[in-house]
Amino acid sequence: MSRFTMEEVGWTPRIPPVDAGTATPAQLAALEACPPAQRRSTYFLTLANDPASLGERGALFNTVMYAPRGLPRADREFSTAIVSMANGCVYCTSVHARRFTDLSKQREAMQRVLDEGHAVETDPRRRAIADFSEKLTLTPGAVTAADLAPLRAVGMDDLEVLDLIHSIAMFANANRLMQSLGESTPPDAA
Amino acid sequence: MNPNEKPQDLIEDILGIEPGSPLAELRRRRPEALKHAQGAYRELLMPDDPGHVSHVDRAALALRAALREGDMALAARFRALLEAASAQEAIMLAEDLSGAPMEGRLAALLRYADVVAARPEAVTQETIDALSAMGLTPRDIVAVTQLVSFVPYQVRVIAGLRAMMQEKAA
Repeated sequence: MSRFTMEEVGWTPRIPPVDAGTATPAQLAALEACPPAQRRSTYFLTLANDPASLGERGALFNTVMYAPRGLPRADREFSTAIVSMANGCVYCTSVHARRFTDLSKQREAMQRVLDEGHAVETDPRRRAIADFSEKLTLTPGAVTAADLAPLRAVGMDDLEVLDLIHSIAMFANANRLMQSLGESTPPDAA
Repeated sequence: MNPNEKPQDLIEDILGIEPGSPLAELRRRRPEALKHAQGAYRELLMPDDPGHVSHVDRAALALRAALREGDMALAARFRALLEAASAQEAIMLAEDLSGAPMEGRLAALLRYADVVAARPEAVTQETIDALSAMGLTPRDIVAVTQLVSFVPYQVRVIAGLRAMMQEKAA
């Protein structure tokens, strides 16, 4: 059994989150820039302690994950689940594995990757995305044009590749924030 | 450090992506990503109200994170911010990766940057409580963590775009 799951994982902050009821106008404005479904989550309320960085970073996250056209959303979610596994972020992995499954209906494929790693992935597009995501995450300085070839081979155009790079980079950020500012609590402990 | 200085896009400057080039045009198909990456950089490195983490401290933390990530070109940009502020001691501390015990507030912040950049799984409640004990507020702690976590975003965008540039040059 791997430690990764698509079950709901909890997250407990190590500093007090902002209380939405008593938040300052600056904090509320920063939360407005974040994805609507998540702007009242404990995680975003924790980040709202510093509204200046949350406003810009939340807007960046929003466009990277949800901007129309380009890389399909399911591919962005799959990539960020792979990045989160590479970084050991159990919470982020669970969230983005679930979103990928909701969008793609490929639950079994996602579960297999969570259990056994992406080396077992047989779908050529997902395998190319996973290999690139892991390499840019773990050894960014070693990435070359040759690493883009498998993405091109499955038909990705420039905008899709750019979107993929943004998604991977965003989770170098998100995984570090999540792991530093709080603690994942596994489903069986919740 | 001049907070009113408006750098052109930092990443394009580092990579030498020329205005009007195919890659510059491609990036402008995601204008929000450009705008908010630049905005996050500004708010994290040189916010109007830096709380208890000065602009010098912030540039030193970014320098350390870039060095831990092995991105020398990005590190040089953060070093230049410190040089412009004549913050020689901060440069010395940030560039000392020997792990030798160092005293003082900035040294403690830099050790936090090391963990967040390289081993975020190793952060514990005690790590965060030690920052609070140094007088950092929740806002300061979020700002420092955002800053150190943003550099890895920049590093991977730079690395990915560099591969795309190589591809186009081939």
